Amino acid sequence: MNADLIGSLEQITRVVGVRGAMVVSADEGLVVAESSMEGIEGAAVAALTAGVVSRLARATEAAGRTPPAFVHLQADEGSLLAVPAGEELLVVAVTDPAVNVGLVRLELRRMAEHLA
Amino acid sequence: MRVIEPWVADPLQRFLAESSARLVLLTTSSGQVVAQHGFTRALDVMSAAALGAAIMASTDELGRLTASGASRALSHQGPSRGLFLSGFDLPQGRWIGLVVYDRDSSLGLVRLFFDRLVGELKGLAPQETPAREVLASDFENELNASLRSLFGR
Amino acid sequence: MSIEDIRVLTAQLAADPSSLVFLPLAEALRRRGQLDAAEKVALAGLTRYPELADAHDLLARILGDRGDLERAFDEWDIALRHDARHAGAHKGIGFLYYVAGDLPKALQHLESALQADPEAEGVAAAAARVREALAEPLASEAAAPVVPTEPEPEAAPEPVPPAEAAGAGAIFAGLEGAQDGLLLLDGQGLRLGGGLNAPDGSPVGDAVAAHLAGVFRDASRAARLLSLGAWRSVGAETADANLYLCAPTEDSLLLLVRDNSVPIARLAKQADRASDAARRWLEGGA
Repeated sequence: MNADLIGSLEQITRVVGVRGAMVVSADEGLVVAESSMEGIEGAAVAALTAGVVSRLARATEAAGRTPPAFVHLQADEGSLLAVPAGEELLVVAVTDPAVNVGLVRLELRRMAEHLA
Repeated sequence: MRVIEPWVADPLQRFLAESSARLVLLTTSSGQVVAQHGFTRALDVMSAAALGAAIMASTDELGRLTASGASRALSHQGPSRGLFLSGFDLPQGRWIGLVVYDRDSSLGLVRLFFDRLVGELKGLAPQETPAREVLASDFENELNASLRSLFGR
Repeated sequence: MSIEDIRVLTAQLAADPSSLVFLPLAEALRRRGQLDAAEKVALAGLTRYPELADAHDLLARILGDRGDLERAFDEWDIALRHDARHAGAHKGIGFLYYVAGDLPKALQHLESALQADPEAEGVAAAAARVREALAEPLASEAAAPVVPTEPEPEAAPEPVPPAEAAGAGAIFAGLEGAQDGLLLLDGQGLRLGGGLNAPDGSPVGDAVAAHLAGVFRDASRAARLLSLGAWRSVGAETADANLYLCAPTEDSLLLLVRDNSVPIARLAKQADRASDAARRWLEGGA
């Protein structure tokens, strides 16, 4: 199963500008599978992204809304994108600033639908 | 937060700020308390220190019996809080960290920042001191002395 | 493309509305001058793929054909937010700046288009023309701005209860969502202004503000620890709304919430205007 996950993650990392992609346990913020996380600490990406998504979900809950289906954290030198896969997993990508966000989002959603 | 070893204070403060942990206890493997945060009663600290040391010791023993090696970290998830227990080696000997967190944090975040805390402590720890054999009376005496220091009594 | 080809594409889209075939279909309709149909197809595709730069570029070209240059500019701008190297968007915006007389910006965008796509039709020649024009002595008259970067403020807000007038709507008066959907808070999670209601109408601004301080802290920490540089914004889509969070100043946060018909990229543009209003208010010592 891990080989399948890694294969699917490689679809995401093939998008130009994607530095790495992973599947993360949403509650614990632990890596489930990862691909091409060059120069990036996978455990840190997992923990920090799960933290942001979880915190955002509580904010949307307070606003009377449903939890996020897509999250895009944009910074000066890169981005984090995350899509929940069911209730327990997140599909996450770390990207360069000039990446085609639409394409990455498409690939993240495809994988999330497959996992859910 | 209260610490007995002053050089622990800054790294522990950073760990608390980053991890949003609710309770933290650092002890030697013999149960001497080095620092704590979040505990309000000496009895709780005493119990947690003793239990943490015992759990790490028995897990290490289990690892030895099953040839899986000394344990590095354990975690437990309760209904509303999680618990993380980890041993690490310093020049002074083996220490144990016990961290309790709630939904403001996660196991991943606690592990991430605990690893960084250990790295910082290793960098700041004073010169190696010779290890000494721990006797049961020493354990209790040291624990009591630590508790008095931590709770200002 | 023949009418038969269009029929085939239309059938494909009908069979699978989530397909990307809306792109060639809308383009084909545009080339045939069927701009109403082209715009409908493009907009429908954008509701499914709001962050697809190609789709925004396509809509911009349709709007440009209609003569709606302001909206065309907005769409190309959005395309570039999603894909900073999009050749079509650079070309389009470069053309608009040229029309507006802003030659330096026109050249900047045309050169970006060339970098992204050296074979792009007509761009090399256009860039050369602009360079020549820039090399000529300046005319006495300044170029008249035609393409605004900031659209006019939206319609006036609805009347508000007297208790709210001094607070909730004051900062963002004149902007869409001034009473509901725009929230300004400080770094501690305390609401400074604006308002937000849940779908059932109950005010939730203060509760949301409290949570957002944590989001801000986690987002800026993640960006810092993952060496992504300074945090700029967090966008999120839910089943029934889109959200955009940014920091107008070091000590304040701004949240925009809209229903899903407003894509995040558009929220980002609205956030720019709201951030300006927030900064003016904060600097005014209110």
